[in-house]
Amino acid sequence: MPLWTLILVLLAFPAAAEPDAAAIVRAAIEHYRGKTSWMRLEMVVNRPDWERRLRLEAWTQGLDRSLVRVLAPRKDAGNATLLVGDAMWMYNPRVNRVIRIPASMMNQSWMGSDFSNADIARSDDLIDQYEHRLLGVERVDGHRAWRIRSIPHEDAPVVWGFEDSLIRDDYVILEHTYHDQAGVLVRRLTAREIGELDGRPYALRERMERLDKPGHWTEVHILEARFDRPLPAGLFTLANLRNPRP
Amino acid sequence: MGRAGLLLRLAWRNLWRNARRTVILLLAVTLGVAAMVFAAAFSRGMVVAMVDDAIDHLPGHVQIHAPGYRDDPAAEHRFPYPQGRLRAVLDGPLVAAWAARVRVPVVVASEYDTAGVTLLGVEPRREAALAYLGRASVDGRPLADANDAGLLIGRRLAERLDTVRGRRVVITAQGADGALADRGFRVVGLFRSPWSSEEKGIALTGLATAQRLLRLPGEVNEVAVRAADPERLEALVAALRAAAPELEVADWRTLSPLTHAGQQLYSQFTWVWYLVVFLGMAFGLVNTLLMAVLERTREFGLFLALGMRPRWILGQVWFEALLVLVLGLAAGNGLALALARALGEVDVSAFAAGAELAGLAQRIPLIIHGGDLALANGLVLALGLAAALYPAWRAARLAPVRALRRN
Repeated sequence: MPLWTLILVLLAFPAAAEPDAAAIVRAAIEHYRGKTSWMRLEMVVNRPDWERRLRLEAWTQGLDRSLVRVLAPRKDAGNATLLVGDAMWMYNPRVNRVIRIPASMMNQSWMGSDFSNADIARSDDLIDQYEHRLLGVERVDGHRAWRIRSIPHEDAPVVWGFEDSLIRDDYVILEHTYHDQAGVLVRRLTAREIGELDGRPYALRERMERLDKPGHWTEVHILEARFDRPLPAGLFTLANLRNPRP
Repeated sequence: MGRAGLLLRLAWRNLWRNARRTVILLLAVTLGVAAMVFAAAFSRGMVVAMVDDAIDHLPGHVQIHAPGYRDDPAAEHRFPYPQGRLRAVLDGPLVAAWAARVRVPVVVASEYDTAGVTLLGVEPRREAALAYLGRASVDGRPLADANDAGLLIGRRLAERLDTVRGRRVVITAQGADGALADRGFRVVGLFRSPWSSEEKGIALTGLATAQRLLRLPGEVNEVAVRAADPERLEALVAALRAAAPELEVADWRTLSPLTHAGQQLYSQFTWVWYLVVFLGMAFGLVNTLLMAVLERTREFGLFLALGMRPRWILGQVWFEALLVLVLGLAAGNGLALALARALGEVDVSAFAAGAELAGLAQRIPLIIHGGDLALANGLVLALGLAAALYPAWRAARLAPVRALRRN
């Protein structure tokens, strides 16, 4: 956990009280992304009658810059997505073109997975577009875990009625569920394997599934990661999206 | 009594020598004319209703846009809310009602689905005077004012999104600056529209709310205008163009060429219908008169032998046709007018889907137009008399001796 978050959490709350729900969510997201991160991962998109495996390489910086490249299979290799703030671009090497993802496509699936473009682009929205409430504290695998309900603000660009997360005291997100406005569970992200990555506890395998579509799920398996190392300048640029520098 | 009077009397008597045949012929003319007049009233009503409907939903007789908007209806093609000279024309005597609106394509998403729709930011008070959607019946509450942050969507769109009144949906759009613009909206009401494209494809919110979302402070994409006198659109268009030379002013004929083409088509079609009905009628008339002439061959032979001029014979038969036509026209017009008055309008809402496809209204008023009436009557009389010339000519050309010898 970054030191300043710890200080913030300690300052904000008397020792006996549970930390503020919003601070926990923020800390968990920062833990997840680090100041910077580099990862190699495998993504499995599962459908009732087929399955697709992609090998990806991803970089992030802060909360609003990301770059993802497809390494394998060969037919998809070179496809890349760049995110800077709210803007999202995709590069397809076959047509040698960079496409800016228009607003109208933000709700569409990202690379055929169960994540939408908006899921990828708005990962930090959870911090300030919601009202967070601590529902309770549970014990999981010898850890304390906070169950937090996040209710989107009235004008937040979020379709869900509320989202619940289960965050372990080392800021690993164990579960994140999406409920419709009648309270029905629609989508669920679960950590299926937790281990250590580059010295920090981390969800190594996560699965996103839709409960209204059985057999539709996407699993992300992190193979290798480095956190908080300096990244080369110009990584999150359109030029680098199109012409990757080794 | 002149010669014409004599011939007219002879023709009148001859008509009733075979009353049954005459009545049948009269009936044919009556029904034919009635069908023509009624069809013209229906066709005119259809065109008027179609145009009214289109203008109610388009909406307006005239619309004002920024250059480029009609090719690419994006938020960036915008102009300031009407003021100065433009405002003076809009508030002037040429305009019955006007409304300024933000109008952009957006994506609306619920928990379960997304749909591409048109978002309208409106001033509810002005819309009500202008367009169908401003008055549409709403399940829930209508928009209160330009600052209303609630969203109205069509009933069918709600079904598609699997959402209900009171829930939130997310609208995602491209702002005027090109960047992503999105926010959640609570659905405060579901509207109904006879046009399913509206029920599926339109979402309404307050003008100021839409301006904030799309980063268009004090600006709009469209001004829609209902003319005080729809027959004199040119004057209105010219006045608006003069007041706002930097904007594009277009009337409904340009904005909805299909409606305009429909209007033209139906007027042409009336002519075709007239011709078809008339042909049927003309054959009946000619045939009956030929029959009558044949029966009276001996009589005509006698007339000729006694010294009646062939011209008079021709006149006699021709007068018969004239009498039948005049009587039939009178009865036919009476029948059509009575029918139109009794019905008032034709309700085709049972075929709503088909009517919508053809761009027609669901209730078609029957409109009797003086010009249509004169045209139908004039056409039948003129062409009927022309057709009667042939049997009359046959009668006049009989050779007296041969005619007298025939049984």
